[in-house]
Amino acid sequence: MAADFHFASLPAQRVPRLVVSPRRLLADVLSKGWVESLIPFVALICAVCGILLATDGYFAPSNLRNLAQYAPDGGLIVIALLVVVAVGGIDLSVGSNFAMSAFVALFCFHILQLPVAAVLALTILAGALVGTVNGAIAGLLGCGALLTTLGTMITVRGLYTLASQAQLVEISSSARMDDTWDWIGFEKVLTLPVGFWVLLVVAALAFVMFRQTRFGWHLLAVGGNRKAARHGGIRVRQTIFLSYLLAGSLVGLAGFLFAARQNSIGSDTGIGMEFFALTALVVGLGGFVPGRGAVVSVLIGFTTIYVLNNAMVNAGFRGDFVQLSMGAIIILILAVDVKFRKNRHRLLASTYLDPVAFETDAVKGMQGLMPDETAPKLRDATILAVGQVDGPEDVLLDKDGNIYCGSRDGYLFRIAAPGHEKAEVLAKLGGRPLGLAFDRQNRIVVCVAGMGLMRVSLDGAVELLTDQAERSLFSVQDDTTIRMADDLDIAPDGTIFFTDASKRYDIENWGLDLLEGRPNGRLLSFDPATGQTRTVCDNLRFPNGVCLTHDGKYLLVASTWECSILVFDLARLREGPRVLTSGLPGYPDNINRASDGGYWVALAGMRNPVFDAAMKNPQLRRRMTKRVPPTNWLFGNLNIGGVLKIDGSGTIIDALWDTPDGPLYMITSMREHEGALYLGGVTNNKIGRLELTGADPGWCGPTSYWGAQG
Amino acid sequence: MSADSAAAPLTLPNQGSGRRNMLERVVAAATFLLIVAFAATIDGFATTGNLGIILINSASLTVLSCGMAVVIISRGLDLSLIAQMVAGATIFGMLISGGVAAPLALLAAYLSMVAIGALNAWLIAYVEIPSMLATLASSMFIVGLFRFAVLRGEYLLLLPKSDPTVAFFAGRLLPFLPVPVALMLGTLMATWFLLNRTVAGRIIYAMGDNFQAARLSGLSVRVTAIVVYVFAAFTAITAGLIMASASGAVDFRTVTNGTLLFEVILVVVLGGIPLRGGRGGLRNIIVGVALIAVLRNGMTLMNVTTQTQDMLKGLILLAAIITDNYLNPRDAETDTAGDL
Repeated sequence: MAADFHFASLPAQRVPRLVVSPRRLLADVLSKGWVESLIPFVALICAVCGILLATDGYFAPSNLRNLAQYAPDGGLIVIALLVVVAVGGIDLSVGSNFAMSAFVALFCFHILQLPVAAVLALTILAGALVGTVNGAIAGLLGCGALLTTLGTMITVRGLYTLASQAQLVEISSSARMDDTWDWIGFEKVLTLPVGFWVLLVVAALAFVMFRQTRFGWHLLAVGGNRKAARHGGIRVRQTIFLSYLLAGSLVGLAGFLFAARQNSIGSDTGIGMEFFALTALVVGLGGFVPGRGAVVSVLIGFTTIYVLNNAMVNAGFRGDFVQLSMGAIIILILAVDVKFRKNRHRLLASTYLDPVAFETDAVKGMQGLMPDETAPKLRDATILAVGQVDGPEDVLLDKDGNIYCGSRDGYLFRIAAPGHEKAEVLAKLGGRPLGLAFDRQNRIVVCVAGMGLMRVSLDGAVELLTDQAERSLFSVQDDTTIRMADDLDIAPDGTIFFTDASKRYDIENWGLDLLEGRPNGRLLSFDPATGQTRTVCDNLRFPNGVCLTHDGKYLLVASTWECSILVFDLARLREGPRVLTSGLPGYPDNINRASDGGYWVALAGMRNPVFDAAMKNPQLRRRMTKRVPPTNWLFGNLNIGGVLKIDGSGTIIDALWDTPDGPLYMITSMREHEGALYLGGVTNNKIGRLELTGADPGWCGPTSYWGAQG
Repeated sequence: MSADSAAAPLTLPNQGSGRRNMLERVVAAATFLLIVAFAATIDGFATTGNLGIILINSASLTVLSCGMAVVIISRGLDLSLIAQMVAGATIFGMLISGGVAAPLALLAAYLSMVAIGALNAWLIAYVEIPSMLATLASSMFIVGLFRFAVLRGEYLLLLPKSDPTVAFFAGRLLPFLPVPVALMLGTLMATWFLLNRTVAGRIIYAMGDNFQAARLSGLSVRVTAIVVYVFAAFTAITAGLIMASASGAVDFRTVTNGTLLFEVILVVVLGGIPLRGGRGGLRNIIVGVALIAVLRNGMTLMNVTTQTQDMLKGLILLAAIITDNYLNPRDAETDTAGDL
């Protein structure tokens, strides 16, 4: 049977290549996980740009090498602080400990004349000793970290001042030279100073520790939620102790590098270092956040502060101005971060729904067929399996007359012929089974919202065909996952065409997609031979029902929000859809073949003039969703639904309605089978069966698709 | 029943259980022993003259401790206290040197303290930055600003010692009552009044006890935060005036070396006011100050260097928090990672 329409003369449907909306872009960016670590990146870029504009040749190789020369001790201390902050503590003693370690290094080198390796070991040990004290008091005993490290900070500083005053003259008058010592302090390996390599290696190790090791995970768990970590069997106190120990050792290493480079110490060594490190940490983490081991972010924060500091001093600003701006930067970043963290989800919630104006064609072709103009024919329908099925969005009948349908809780049911009395589980799918179709091998292919495209053989075996599509170009939100697989049909060559009704809303929020009114859906195809999923047409407005024309050459797709039926030419899919019929009186859902060469179209709900007007006014819908409770929102009328019969050219020839208080409302699917029409509804708990007059009593769906022998 | 409830608001919250006050008692006992030991070993310790010196020398520390105690009881922390102190003294000193009348200069200094305190409170209560970080940053900001804009990079601002106002602050109100001691007593009384006789005082305890409960039950925690931090700023400038007048100079290095801030926190902790807030009162401040003042005086008389004193004080703090932790162990079930 040839199609009764001439494809080329149908009006073309405009499908946007790209949906551009600033609000949507904002919402998509906000929902990204990386947005929280954006702050240090932005800060670094701002700092670098500012320096580039304000200075000349700051980023020359010689100056960069100079920067790298002095960076390692600060960088190591920031990483040490990160380890402690990640576990939920704080270490104010890093500055004093740093000075003390530098003193120990110089003392061991110049006074005790030890070999460099021993100096290194003893210095790290000295740093670790302070870490041990901190860890023992703050970790093992469980005292407050702030007071503990304040105490060690003051004590160690006093000790350092006493010790350095006693030994300073001897240290500075020592004449000991050592090649290894100088190599560590001044040499370069592969153009970078040795100390900088040390920093890089430590950073890499810390990165691996937080990502890959059990200890690193324990650190983050304790920092994230101490109680949960304890209940989870982590030794909280030991973990905290070890983190302070590790931090102390890192500070010791930093002090060693400093000593090898400077070969001297002063009374102000390490003073204010804890504030500098804290600033870098706050900039890097975008706030003071326990339970995050973001080594890279923190190093970026360190670089920002370090370079900014250095550039300001280079440009002739005094230390007081640098201090002033550092204070201002911390306040600013903390303020932005606190407010952002607090309001991010609100902002996301208020920007995610992004309505757009669009106009639906006026209702046409329904003269004498509207519910108030014609007798409710569905009144004569018999009701099957009441209460045994919950939400049969689609109904499917095999050649023997058994009914198959999905349910709200993810089952696929079979209701056996001839009595259609008892529903029994065929398979458990999960998700929300929607559209159904038989393939050539008599297996059921199911669209499952939340899962994808699945296939069930009649003995109950389930397999997933696909749950991912190609990611569309320029999409910020990852749209590879098929969120709402809705309906499908299968071409003679076996290709499965199915719709993903919305890329932005899950099945439980399908109503929001209507209120948004944007083309969020897509038509996909799956080739069982190759296993490939392709996007046939992106950016459709809630593409819902799919039906192959009787000749198998065209594909009908219901565009629910537009109240129209689109048609694709399977031979020329690239040309895009044309409009078969528009201006339907309700929201079309599934489309299925009729025995006389026409098609049945289910209407899930009815349009009304108020809501049609609201669709032209996006601001109204935006304000409505913000200010009015969802139960009072304007919406299409879902209390009455029906079935339209269209002929092969798309002209409406009949309409079946139930009485206003009838049991068959919100009809989402119907199948003709041997002279009767079976009706399903996505929110209904029953299946209707209506005897048709004048229909071919021998016609059934699988035969129509695959022939009598299949 | 009605008599009980009428009497209840008058009871100090720290007069509840005996065990809670253990640290305070230990410290009081230690102070007493220290006084006995110093009196026995150091010549000139147990004299009325030395008592006067102890009082005058500990005046600014006591005043600052009052501010810090109020902040800590409300479960806050003000690390910018010393920065505010020098900033306030700087404003006063600059205005005095510029020939502004003393009352006007004082008024300007105190008004600017309202601004600084309110700024801190705004950052903490409205922007909701944790108090430790907010005041750490504002401390850096204040010191940087004053050294940059007012002192032009210098660390020191000299006060005209001959100025009558400066001389007044360094002198005596009554023959037996030096002005610093009078200010100290005034501040102590003001603190007692704020904590025990005002609505804000009740809210301060409620905030410290359970901040969320206080907020959710409709107490004006944000406005009270402003009261708390402005009060702290007032104590800061009062201490600044005492200190600057006594030494004739405002020294910004008191901020950078951190010793004074450390002593203030030490006083509060030794007195038995927990960092988590909600408990403590005037008695705790006095006990804490007494130990530190006696210790400082005795060690100075024994010619112990400042560094050794610092070191000893650090060790005392560590000993105090370990003791406190032993006496009031943390509950592992309610212990959260954010609790520093």
